[in-house]
Amino acid sequence: MTEDSQRNFRSVYYEKVGFRGVEEKKSLEILLKDDRLDIEKLCTFSQRFPLPSMYRALVWKVLLGILPPHHESHAQVMMYRKEQYCDVLHALKVVRFVSDATPQVEVYLHMYQLESGKLPRSPSFPLEPEDEVFLAIAKAVEEMVEDSVDCYWIIRCFVNQLNNKYRESLPQLPKAFEQYLNLEDSRLLSHLKTCSALSRLPYDLWFKRCFAGCLPESSLQRVWDKVVSGSCKILVFVAVEILLTFKIKVMALNSAEKITKFLENIPQDSSDAIVSKAIDLWHKHCGTPVHSA
Amino acid sequence: MAQQANLGELLSMLDSPVLSVRDEVTAVFKENLSSDRGPMLVNTLVDYYLETKSQPVLHILTTLQEPHDKHLLDKMNDCMGRAASRLPALSLLGHVIRLQPPWKHKLSQAPLLPSLLKCLKVDTDVIVLTTGVLVLITMLPMIPQSGKQHLHDFFDIFGRLSSWCLKKPGHVTEIYLVHLHASVYALFHRLYGMYPCNFVSFLRSHYSMKENLDTFEEVVRPMMEHVRIHPELVTGSKDHELDPRRWKRLETHDVVIECAKISLDPAEASYEDGDSVSPQVSARFPHRAADVAASPYVDMQNSCGSATSTPYSSSRLTLFSTPGQPPQTLSPPSTRLLTEPPQATLWSPSMVCGMTTPPTSPGNVPPDLSHPYSKVFGTTGGKGTPLGTPATSPPPAPLCHSDDYVHISLRQATATPPKKEEKTDSARPCLHRQHHLPNDRGLEELPGSKGSVPLSDLPGFLGDLASEEDSIEKAKEEAAISKELSEITTAGTEPLVPRGGFDSPFYRDSLPGCPRKNHSAASGAQGASVNPEPLNSSLDKLGPDTPKQAFTPIDPPCGGANQSPAGSRERQTALETDILTPSPCKIPPQRGVGFGSGQPPPYDHLFEVALPKTAHHFVSKKTKELLKKAKGNAEEDCPPSTSPAEVLDRLIQQGADAHSKELNKLSLPSKSVDWTHFGGSPPSDEIRTLRNQLLLLHNQLLYERFKRQQHALRNRRLLRRVIRAAALEEHNAAMKDQLKLQEKDIQIWKVSMQKEQARYSQLQEQRDTMVTQLHSQIRQLQHDREEFYNQSQELQTKLEDCRNMIAELRLELKKANSKVCHTELLLSQVSQKLSNSESVQQQMEFLNRQLLVLGEVNELYLEQLQSKHSDTTKEVEMMKAACRKELEKNRSHVLQQNQRLDTSQKRILELESHLAKKDHLLLEQKKYLEDVKVQARGQLQAAESRYEAQKRITQVFELEILDLYGRLEKDGLLKKLEEEKAEAAEAAEER
Repeated sequence: MTEDSQRNFRSVYYEKVGFRGVEEKKSLEILLKDDRLDIEKLCTFSQRFPLPSMYRALVWKVLLGILPPHHESHAQVMMYRKEQYCDVLHALKVVRFVSDATPQVEVYLHMYQLESGKLPRSPSFPLEPEDEVFLAIAKAVEEMVEDSVDCYWIIRCFVNQLNNKYRESLPQLPKAFEQYLNLEDSRLLSHLKTCSALSRLPYDLWFKRCFAGCLPESSLQRVWDKVVSGSCKILVFVAVEILLTFKIKVMALNSAEKITKFLENIPQDSSDAIVSKAIDLWHKHCGTPVHSA
Repeated sequence: MAQQANLGELLSMLDSPVLSVRDEVTAVFKENLSSDRGPMLVNTLVDYYLETKSQPVLHILTTLQEPHDKHLLDKMNDCMGRAASRLPALSLLGHVIRLQPPWKHKLSQAPLLPSLLKCLKVDTDVIVLTTGVLVLITMLPMIPQSGKQHLHDFFDIFGRLSSWCLKKPGHVTEIYLVHLHASVYALFHRLYGMYPCNFVSFLRSHYSMKENLDTFEEVVRPMMEHVRIHPELVTGSKDHELDPRRWKRLETHDVVIECAKISLDPAEASYEDGDSVSPQVSARFPHRAADVAASPYVDMQNSCGSATSTPYSSSRLTLFSTPGQPPQTLSPPSTRLLTEPPQATLWSPSMVCGMTTPPTSPGNVPPDLSHPYSKVFGTTGGKGTPLGTPATSPPPAPLCHSDDYVHISLRQATATPPKKEEKTDSARPCLHRQHHLPNDRGLEELPGSKGSVPLSDLPGFLGDLASEEDSIEKAKEEAAISKELSEITTAGTEPLVPRGGFDSPFYRDSLPGCPRKNHSAASGAQGASVNPEPLNSSLDKLGPDTPKQAFTPIDPPCGGANQSPAGSRERQTALETDILTPSPCKIPPQRGVGFGSGQPPPYDHLFEVALPKTAHHFVSKKTKELLKKAKGNAEEDCPPSTSPAEVLDRLIQQGADAHSKELNKLSLPSKSVDWTHFGGSPPSDEIRTLRNQLLLLHNQLLYERFKRQQHALRNRRLLRRVIRAAALEEHNAAMKDQLKLQEKDIQIWKVSMQKEQARYSQLQEQRDTMVTQLHSQIRQLQHDREEFYNQSQELQTKLEDCRNMIAELRLELKKANSKVCHTELLLSQVSQKLSNSESVQQQMEFLNRQLLVLGEVNELYLEQLQSKHSDTTKEVEMMKAACRKELEKNRSHVLQQNQRLDTSQKRILELESHLAKKDHLLLEQKKYLEDVKVQARGQLQAAESRYEAQKRITQVFELEILDLYGRLEKDGLLKKLEEEKAEAAEAAEER
């Protein structure tokens, strides 16, 4: 009762009139006020609405399991995380894997390698493809989060989620992409097929790196909100929307190499619109996730 | 090819003179035919026959079996198409159908019939036409139902040919026309006989046309004078005639006889079912009737025509006995037969004469003739005289008259001499009579006459009668005559003739002229005329017939040839050899030939044979006259009334006479020689004409023979009926005898029955007396009984009274007893009451006393009571007060208790809420605990991860350390080695 009274009584009507995100901040604050944080509610919220940037880091940390749901233990747990970060960094420095001159992203990579026991014998060893993915994601996260400890932990947990939670569903995404593209624009699909470009689209960039390096971070944050909250399908719709947006250009291109090349370096200006449309498309096809509470 | 060659050989072998070879070959052919179904063999045979006229082949062809008939008909149809082979084909067809093959019904469907009709409509050769018409006439009764389709063809043919007879188109020889006319005449008879209504309507329509009127007047009308009105014209209709059902009932010979019935021509007529003839007689002896009617003429003819009258006496005798009866029976005082009157009415010759010779003018009858024959002779005489007597006939025409009379009158006398002469003849009259009597009398006489015949013998007798009547007599006569003749005459032909009394006037006339021809003619005639009946009889009943016995000794010499087709040739040779040595042996072969194979002896005679037996004297006289004239003029002299057949007969007679005269001069036996010697070189035209004539005659003869066979068939059937009827008669007689016997028995039984009745009445009387006696006794006894009954009745009433009295007494006794009992009971009651009242009195006394005592006590108590009455109310009030107090106390107590209860309940509620709170608290605590747990787990996880990280760090460190150690050790080892080397070097230096 008390919570409801605090809320704006008009909030019910905002959505009907078309305003979005007005009351999200408040409702998120209400959610975050709960002592034991309800993770499910947070998931649903982050899938339905874009997260306010001031709460994004907190919500992500909670959703990724970096912070426990209880506020009381937040400080202690965060201290542990920080110590762990410092220890690992120290160790790397001790063994002279990293130096002050080493870029922060590589430092994160080596730390991750150390923690997962995959640390190579020498920092000069060639990078694995998964290390490339890690680096791309790390670069994007570094842009989003300021604190290096938070940054490391978010990167680590995000990559772990990709490797563990989405291990099964990520290889299915190209098929789903083809299916939804067929539903939205079959002509485009047939064009891709005739150019035999369908199999050579930048699926690694799109689905393994989750558009890291493809979209600007401001737009990427909104996509990753959904990914972090448990839905990797959004990636498919983003890809579909990219193709729909650049349909004319793609149709004009006839060779698979050109198409792939163009798609790997899409112009950055329309990315916000792409993401918004993609989320709409996603809601349209997969339905709006219901607030279970 | 080999087969064909073989066939040719076989065919040539068929004509081999050796009999056995021929038989074998014939057998081979028949085998082939039975095995082979193809048309080849039949075609070859037909061709061969058309080429050679081989008799054995003809025999094979005429006896073909069913599957080959089609081939034969087709082949003949083929041949019919060609003008060259038409005549032989027609004659072959004639041969085939005359034998009535089993497949004759197929003729109507065969293409042969239309082609035959077409040929008859188109052809211009008289010989072909005549042959064809004869074949058609023969065929018609076999296929009467085909008339429906071809009726108009038949009529057209008739119309065409009849006009031919008159118009004589082209170069047709008159002689041929005579034949044609005869055959047209036969066709007329057949058509009129079979389809009268249609035919008459055809005639009406056809001859109403002007251009045909002449033909009608000249040709058709004379023919019509020889037929009666056909009954069908009255009862039938055009459609009915053509109805197949009508023809189904009739066999071929039935049709022929039907046709003969409507003819008035003595040559054709048959009076089987004549209107004037009583049906029974006619049914039994149709042919006899005809014979009887015909025979007088023959006799007359014989007597006047032949110079050698002696041999005929015997034959005449036999004949006379039969025909002689009618005249005698006409006069009431008949000397010979008792049963003649009925017959006389039936067989009046005058009636016959009147019918057979309608055209003769009654004016010719000589007035002096009182004899029943007068009419006949008158006509014959009248006819004969104007024509003139031929030179060859010894007696002149007027003499003929007288001679006839003489013969007739003398017949009785002349009958005897031959009998006396021969022992066989002696038996003959009786035999003769015996046979004739039953026959002539007819059926109605038989039962009566049978009285003399034992019943057991009757069937046999009847059978014999039917079958043997003629044959016996004739055979015996023949035997006798032939003997006689052989003694008397030197001419070889004579002995064969005698029997042919009916039908041999012609050849008898010509006998002296041509021995050979006559011989054969006679034999043929004999065969034809004599044998029908004997043969029939022998066929019907192969028993110990006399004719058979008479012939059997003669048969053996040519018995085999009798039925063989080869007989003809043999017969020819035999004839030639036997001509001059007349013997009875010749008869059988000729008979066999005449019957069995159908191979004709010289034609003209057979032709005559087939003709009826009467009226030949006309022809003979005619011919005698005509001999002087040209042959072609023969029919010109004929009065319009003579039938074409007669004309033909006359022509033949004439030709035969002429021929015999010529032959006489030459006295040569052989025919070929005959011709060469005859005129040196006879004109070829003449020869051809004669040959054709011969052919025509042959055809005619065959046709007549066919007719004769049909008659024979019918005779056989009728004879069978006679036998059956006779058997029934006998059966009837036997039944009658039995009936008589049974009647006698009945008489005897009646007499004995009367006796028994008398005895019975006597016994009845005795019994009656006894009964009356007994009755009286009974009455007495009854009376007694009644008396006794009355007595007993009285006694019974008495007994009844006694019983009643006893019952009353018993009742009274019962009443008395009951009264006693009642009184006793009353007594006891009273005594009891008495005792009771006594005790009551005592009690009353006691109670009174008590009452007195109690009264006193009461008075005492009343006194007491009045004294003690005041304290009781106070006590009650006290008690009430105590109760009230106690009640109050209890109420307060209850109140207290209730309050306590309320408090305790409140307490319980409080405690329960406490409990709920505690539970809630517990839940909260649990939740909190969970929270804490989760919180701790989160921290723990963080710590864990830290620990993990630490572990990894240490691992890394260890790795680093180990690495470093490794390096150190390596460096140390190197140093050591160097040191050792240095030491070694030092040591080496030291050394």
